[in-house]
Amino acid sequence: MKRSLPFEVFRYAAILLALAVTLVPTLWMASMAFKPIAEWSATGADLTWWPKAPTLDNFRFILGTSTSDLIVALESTAGKPILASLLSAVFGTLIAMTAGTAGAYGLSRFGSGQNLPLALIQLRLFPPMAVMIPVMIMWAFFGLVDTWWGLALIYGIVTLPFAFWLMKTFFDDMPREIEDAALVEGCSRMRVFIKITLPMMRPALASSALFVFILNWSDYLIALLLTTREWVTIPVYMASLSSSMTGQLYGAKAALGLIAAVPPVIMGIAIQKHLVRGLTFGALKQ
Amino acid sequence: MSSFATEEKRSVPGDLTPSDTRTEDARIEDGGRRLGFLLTLPAQLLVLFIAVFPLLMQLYISLTDWSPLDGTGWWQAYEVWNGFANYTDLAIDSRFWDALGRTALVMLICVPVEFLLGLGLAILFMDNFAGKRVFYSFMLIPMMVVPAVAGYMFFMLFQSGGPVNDIISTLIGRPFVLAWLSSPGTALAAVMIADIWQWTPLMFLILLAGLVGVPEDQMRAATLLGASWWQRFYTIALPKMKTIMIIALSIRIIENFKIFDTLFIMTGGGPGVATETISVYIYKVTQQDLIWGYVAAIALVILVVLSIVVSLAISRMNAVKEA
Repeated sequence: MKRSLPFEVFRYAAILLALAVTLVPTLWMASMAFKPIAEWSATGADLTWWPKAPTLDNFRFILGTSTSDLIVALESTAGKPILASLLSAVFGTLIAMTAGTAGAYGLSRFGSGQNLPLALIQLRLFPPMAVMIPVMIMWAFFGLVDTWWGLALIYGIVTLPFAFWLMKTFFDDMPREIEDAALVEGCSRMRVFIKITLPMMRPALASSALFVFILNWSDYLIALLLTTREWVTIPVYMASLSSSMTGQLYGAKAALGLIAAVPPVIMGIAIQKHLVRGLTFGALKQ
Repeated sequence: MSSFATEEKRSVPGDLTPSDTRTEDARIEDGGRRLGFLLTLPAQLLVLFIAVFPLLMQLYISLTDWSPLDGTGWWQAYEVWNGFANYTDLAIDSRFWDALGRTALVMLICVPVEFLLGLGLAILFMDNFAGKRVFYSFMLIPMMVVPAVAGYMFFMLFQSGGPVNDIISTLIGRPFVLAWLSSPGTALAAVMIADIWQWTPLMFLILLAGLVGVPEDQMRAATLLGASWWQRFYTIALPKMKTIMIIALSIRIIENFKIFDTLFIMTGGGPGVATETISVYIYKVTQQDLIWGYVAAIALVILVVLSIVVSLAISRMNAVKEA
């Protein structure tokens, strides 16, 4: 379709405006992450969009290698929270992908577990805050509070619907001729699943796992309720990064925010082909 | 037509009839059935573990005054049995109703704005132009930023000496100072702006997938017959997108109802209770007041109401699909 010149001008103007609005908040935080303490809360005429004296001090500060100009020393560095976020998100993804992939295959090929699709969607519908009381009680009972494995378990359950639905649409799309051929050759069904189907689905597994990882990595509320000290995740730790002496540690928080924001953005762009499928529970493919 | 955004309508979440399994019963021997059962077992157990048992526990506790500070186990909550008192308290709890109303208000403003902005952007991205792929990737960034981090970004942006006021000052040519997050009216606005920033890309993504899926030959035929752009959009593309629009709106309505992370980091529900949504309210009662029996009652009421709304929505969606 050919469009008129005025339309093209309008299109680029509108898109550039949208792009500016989209990028400014992220860029502001990125710029803040490299600002020295003197520029953190500069306002009015002194407000700068670009650090005048760029520094890596903020990163050094939160990682604990140097406290340089900052008046306060941190009670704990960001190292452990980064580890907590990583461990809980990675193992949560493993749980969701294992149960989700197996379940999706069982339903897609053998018609087992027909209650699962609806049950899992309903699981996703409820606000986490409305189901957390029993979870907090159960986690306390099993000694899972304030541990990364306790978080990984709840993450695995919370993102199971996405893993299940995504893998179900991939299995539904997969041609069965190859599997049938292997069956005729005398392979057992289990062997076909492990030796033929799963290797074939490697790209689908990878994008689903990345998708689920992003969701786990993004959590704040659940970690806020289920961790207290030892294994707080990045967002929980970040919220606690302010002191009565310095007030908001803008630059330090921004540096940590940048560390937290970069992995999911890169992963999200890498799997953008499957984002729609994932976010609509496979109802739409792109 | 771009290659990265062709879509095809698949099963809608509400449509749960396993269309391709029943006809194949003959092909699935007993071994397959057993394997199918084993494969779905982990998922079933996890659902059971997180849905059935906790729900019963929640129901039990909601009929008591139990608090974790009591020093007794939750199973001993019958010692502080109070029947339906939590539910009758809830009916006259104005803070609860205010929070619910505020949640509805945020939803009624954010979701339509996100929808319209997303649709507008999707229309601009419908056909090819130089730089489309790059713009598209950049557009998606907000929804992939960790919500808590997004909350912190907007917390910085809306400081009274921060960049938002700086931009406004530049635009109007005189100093503009407004403490966005510490005055009740603007705090709610700031929170909604953050939500719109983060989730418009999702609407854009889904609606673009829908728009690109409209059969091109129909659009071309209509062009040849002399239909204007608006006629083509209104009579061909829009009806075809009905299901997709409903899906996009449902997803945002459901997610927006849960709004917590970004908002809580920005304002903590304040100033006062000015930005206290339902999730923030429940959080505060859970963490500060620690009356878990009451929290369980609130949570159950929300779950029941949501279940009803959702089953209505799903049956409505199936009706639309069949029509």
